[in-house]
Amino acid sequence: MDRRNLLKGAVAAATVTAAAPAISQNAAARTLRFVPQANLANFDPIWGTQYVVRNAAAVVWDTLYGVDENLVAQPQMVEGETVSSDGLTWEFRLRPGLIFHDGTPVLAKDVVASINRWAPRDPMGQMLRAIQDELVAVDDRNFRWKLKRPYPKMKYALGKCGTPCCFIMPERIAGTAGNAMISEFVGSGPMSFKRDEWVPGARAVFEKFGRYTPREGAASWLAGGKRILMDRMEWVVMPDPATAANALQAGEVDWWESPISDLVPLLRRNRNILVDIADPLGNIGSFRMNHLHAPFNNLKVRQAVMMALSQEDYMRAVVGSDTALWSVLGGFFTPGTTSYSEAGGAVMKTPNMDAAKRLLAESGYANEPVTCLVGQDQPLLKPMGDVTADLLRRLGMNVDFVATDWGTVGQRRAVRNPPGQGGWSMFHTWHAGADCVNPAGYNALRANGNDAWFGWPSVPSVEAGINEWFDAPTPALEKAAIDKINREAVENVVYAPTGFFKSYQAWRRNVSGVVKGPLPFFWGVSKT
Amino acid sequence: MWAYIIRRVLATIPVMAFVALFVFSLLYLAPGDPAAVIAGDQATPEDVERIRASLGLDRPYLVRFSEWAFRILQGDLGTSIFTNLPVGHMIAQRIEPTLSLMIVTLCLALTIAIPMGVVAAWKQGTWIDRAVMGFAVLGFSVPVFVVGYLLAYVFALELDWFPVQGYTPFAEGFFPWIENLVLPAVALGGVYIALIARITRATMLEVLQQDYIRTARAKGAGQASILFLHALKNASVPIVTVVGIGIALLIGGAVVTESVFAIPGLGRLTVDAILRRDYPVIQGVVLLFSFVYVLVNLGIDLLYTFLDPRIRY
Amino acid sequence: MIPPGLAIAQPMPDVLPPVKPRRGVLGFLRRYPTIAIGGGLLLVMLCIAIFAPFLWTKDPTSLAPALRTREPGAQFWFGSDMLGRDVYSRVLYGARVSLLVGFSVAFFASVIGLAIGLFSGFIRLADSIVMRVMDGMMSIPPILLAIALMALTRGSVQNVILAITIAEIPRVTRLVRGVVLSLREQPYVDAAVASGTGTVMIMWRHILPNTLAPLTVQATYICAAAMITEAILSFIGAGTPPIIPSWGNIMAEGRALWQVKPYIVFFPAVFLSITVLAVNLLGDGLRDAIDPRLAKKL
Repeated sequence: MDRRNLLKGAVAAATVTAAAPAISQNAAARTLRFVPQANLANFDPIWGTQYVVRNAAAVVWDTLYGVDENLVAQPQMVEGETVSSDGLTWEFRLRPGLIFHDGTPVLAKDVVASINRWAPRDPMGQMLRAIQDELVAVDDRNFRWKLKRPYPKMKYALGKCGTPCCFIMPERIAGTAGNAMISEFVGSGPMSFKRDEWVPGARAVFEKFGRYTPREGAASWLAGGKRILMDRMEWVVMPDPATAANALQAGEVDWWESPISDLVPLLRRNRNILVDIADPLGNIGSFRMNHLHAPFNNLKVRQAVMMALSQEDYMRAVVGSDTALWSVLGGFFTPGTTSYSEAGGAVMKTPNMDAAKRLLAESGYANEPVTCLVGQDQPLLKPMGDVTADLLRRLGMNVDFVATDWGTVGQRRAVRNPPGQGGWSMFHTWHAGADCVNPAGYNALRANGNDAWFGWPSVPSVEAGINEWFDAPTPALEKAAIDKINREAVENVVYAPTGFFKSYQAWRRNVSGVVKGPLPFFWGVSKT
Repeated sequence: MWAYIIRRVLATIPVMAFVALFVFSLLYLAPGDPAAVIAGDQATPEDVERIRASLGLDRPYLVRFSEWAFRILQGDLGTSIFTNLPVGHMIAQRIEPTLSLMIVTLCLALTIAIPMGVVAAWKQGTWIDRAVMGFAVLGFSVPVFVVGYLLAYVFALELDWFPVQGYTPFAEGFFPWIENLVLPAVALGGVYIALIARITRATMLEVLQQDYIRTARAKGAGQASILFLHALKNASVPIVTVVGIGIALLIGGAVVTESVFAIPGLGRLTVDAILRRDYPVIQGVVLLFSFVYVLVNLGIDLLYTFLDPRIRY
Repeated sequence: MIPPGLAIAQPMPDVLPPVKPRRGVLGFLRRYPTIAIGGGLLLVMLCIAIFAPFLWTKDPTSLAPALRTREPGAQFWFGSDMLGRDVYSRVLYGARVSLLVGFSVAFFASVIGLAIGLFSGFIRLADSIVMRVMDGMMSIPPILLAIALMALTRGSVQNVILAITIAEIPRVTRLVRGVVLSLREQPYVDAAVASGTGTVMIMWRHILPNTLAPLTVQATYICAAAMITEAILSFIGAGTPPIIPSWGNIMAEGRALWQVKPYIVFFPAVFLSITVLAVNLLGDGLRDAIDPRLAKKL
C-alpha cells in the first residue's frame, strides 16, 4: 500500500466523516474511470456529429446492425432480414427481449421513428430517402423498407460507425425535430447514462443496465454480444495532457483514450501501464482548399501545393517522432484496407519543392493572399497550421495566417465569400480512417460543387467514379472504381491529405479487455 | 449608517447593469459560431444553418438583449446552447469546487502573508526584511501554471503526499476535500501572498511610527501585543482593501489552476464556454463573478466601519 | 568682551566621522539598490530583445520536424521544440513580444487612465458615471475580459495589448482620480481657481505633475502584470499566435511535454520570471525613492 493510502487509512480511522459513506473497496474496483478524447458537452448523437458524442452514445444506444472488425455489418438488434429478389423490398425482424432503459420494450415503431430522425442528417441515409418508397412498422417486431432502386449497402448504412450512427431511441424522443436537441437520454444499449450526475466539461457517468440482453457470441467492434463487466463508468474530462499522464500513473484514472505520443515513453516506463495503438484505421489529415476563389480555384496552384507538401513534416509535427504511428499516403483512402489505392498518387509520396515552385510560376499565381484558418485550441490541427505557414512561405505564396479558435473556423469555413470578404482559402481538419475506407460516408471526397463539403470542389470525374462504386456489383469493379476515383482526386486535388496517423491508448495493468478499434469499446472491459 | 448601506447597495445596480450590457454586447459582436462547433467537423453548411436557426442566433440585437435582460431579472439565467441544461444548474454544479479553492487560498494567503508582512515591518532594513520581501516579489513574478506543474510533480507524483488532480466534494469528508485543494491553493496563493505581504509591511511601517505605538511601548506592552493588537488593527484598512480587489485576480488565476489540477470549477467552465461561444453560459458566469466581486467589496466597505472608527459615512 | 573663565572651546574630536553625502548617479543607485538591480536586469533583457538577431540566433519560425524535441546541446542551445524550432532563438525573440506587450500596456493604460482620471476627478458630473463604469469593468475578472476580447478578433500582438490595456485602465483611473480629489482641496489650487485660471491650465500646471510620480510606479506594476497576463492568455490558447514567439506561447506549446522535455517550459519561464522580477523591483525602488508612503496605496 503506498504512503498516501496508508495516511488516508489512518486518518479515516481516527476521524468521523460526515454524510455520504465512502464507496467500499469492492465497488470502487467495479468503476472504470476513463479519460475521453474531448469533453462531452452535449449528448445528442444525431444533432451533433462530434466523435466523442458518438463514442458515448455507442454504449448507451444500440443499433440495428453493427460493423465488426472487418467493417462488415452484422445483425445487432435485428434478428434477420429478407430482401426481395428485385432488391427493392427489405423486411427486418427485431430480436426478442430488446428493452429501453425506462423498461418499455423496443418496438418496430421506435425503430422507424429513429431511422426517420437519422436519415436526413446522414449522407447514406439521404441517399436512401431519395429512393425511398415507404418505411413502415408492420407489427411490433417487424418493419419494412421499400425502395425504388436497389441499395446493396443498406446494412452498412445502418451499422456503420461513422457519424451519425443510426441509434435506436424511443419513438417519443426520436420525434424531436432534427434541429433541436433531445432532452431525455433513454437508451437501448448495455449502459445507461446518469443524467443527474453529468457535469458537462468535467464528468459523465454511465451505469450498467442489468436488463440488456446481449447477443450470443463474442463481441467484435459494434457487432456481437455487448457484455458489460463493470458496474459503473466515469468519464473524467482532463484538459491538460500532463495532468492526465500523472493521473494515470498515480492510478487516479484507469484508461486514457488518446495520450499524446510524446508522453507515451513516460507511460511505457511505468510498470503498471500498458500502451498500444488505439485504432488500426487511424486518421487522415487534411489540407482543405477553397475551390471557389483564388488562389486555389486554379488547378495548377493546387497541384503545386500538393507537390511541395511533405507529409512527413506534417506527421512528425502532429504525432511525433514515433514512426510506428504514421505513414505517408499515396491516395485518399485508408491504408491497410482493401480499398486503399495508390493509383496516380506518386506525386503525394515524394515532395518536390523545386518542381512545385516552377509549377506555381506557370500557374499565373499573382500573389493573392492565402487566408489560412487555424484553430489554435485543437492539439492536432495547430501543428498542421504551423507547418502549412512554413510550407506556403517557402513555396513563395502570400500567407494570411488567421490564428483563432475552432469555433471561429467552424463558422468562417461555411462562408462562400472571397477570402478578403470574410471567406477563407484553406483550413486544416482530419477524418477518421473508418470514414475514409470507401466512398460511402466519405463526405470530404465528394466533388459535386455546391452540394459538396466545405471547399466545394467540383470535379465531375470524381463524382462519376463515386457513382460507379455505388453501383458496382462485384468487388473487382468496386476496386476499379476506387482506382479511378483516386487518380482523379489526386489529379484535381479535391483536397491535399497531410498524412495517415494513428494514436495510442493507455490503460492500467489491472484493466483487461481493452481492444483496438475506431472508437473505445466498453463491453468486455473489466477491472480487478 | 443604514442610509449608507442602502445607498451603497443601490449604487451597485448601475454597475451590474453596465456589466450586463458590456458582456452581452461583446458576445453579440463576436465572430465565431456556436452552431458550427456544435455541428461538428463532418457537418454540411445546411446542418450549421439549421442549428443556427434553432438557437435563435439570427435575431436582432435589441430583441435578444431585452429578452435576456428580462429573464435575468426573474432569476432565469437561460439554457446553455451546447448542453441544453439550464445555466443556473451548470453553475450550481461547479460552484462548490471554485468556492472551496478560493476560500482555502484566501485562508492560506492570509495566514502566511500577514505574519510575513508584520515581521518584515518589524525587522525593517535587516536581511529578514529583504528576504521576506524578496520571496513576496517572487510570488508574483512566476506564472501560476509553472508553480502548479512543479508542485504537482514534486509533491504529488514523486513524493505522493497529495493527489495529482481532481476534486472531492466536502460531503465526502474534510480530509479528502482538503487533500485535493492544498497544492492548487499554494499555486494560486502565490500572487495573493505577495500582494498582501507587501501591503501589510507598508502600512505597518507607517503605523509603527505613530505616537500611540510609542505610548504603548512606554506603558510596557510586549512586542507581540504591540505588533498585533495595536498596530495591525490600525493597519487593516488597506490590507482589507487589497483582499477585496484581489478577488478578481484570484478568479483569473483560478482558471489556470483548475485546468492544471483538473478541478471541475467555474473557471474552466467559463473558458470552455468562451472558446465555444456558449453565450448564455458566458453571460451567466461573468454576471455571477461580477456580482460576487461587487458584493465582496460592499462587505469590505462595511467592514471598514468596524475596523476604523474614524471612517464614518 | 568674553568673560574670564570662559575659554574658547577647543574643537571637539571627531567622535562621529563626517557623513559624506552620496551624490551623483552611483550614489543614488547605492542608496536604492532595488532600482539598480531591477533597472539593470531590465536593461539586459531590453538589449537581448533588441539585439536578438546578432546573438547567434536562427530564424525563430523555421521548422524542422525531423529534428523535433532534441535536448539542449551544441546544435540547439536550449533544445528544440515539438516542431523542431530552436528554443534559444525563440526565447530571445520572444523577449521582444513580451517586453513590447508589457511596455505598450503600461504606456497606453497609463495615458488613457490618466486622461479619464483627470477628467473624472475634476468634473463632478462625469465622476459618478465614470466611476460606476470603472467599477463595472473592474468587477469583470481581467483574464476573462481578455479572453473574451481575444475571441472577438483573431490572435495577434495588437489584440493582446488591447485586451490587457482595457482590463488595466480602471486601476490607473482610480489612482489618478484619488490624487486629483485630494489635490483639489489644496489651497494653491483654490487660489488658482480664484484668480481665474482655466481648468485645463490648472490640470496641466498643478495636478498633472503630482500624478506623474505615483503613475510611473503604477505603470511598472502594470507592465509586470501585463507580461504575466500574456503568458496566461497564451496558456489558455487565447494569446499571440505561435508564428510570433512570445514567452507565454512557447510555454503553452511545451506544457504537455514538460515532464519529459522540461527545457521547453523551463527557459522561457526563467526569462519571464527574471524580467517580471526586475520590473517589480524597479517599481518598488522608484516608489521608495519618490515617497515611501506610496507603499500603502500601490
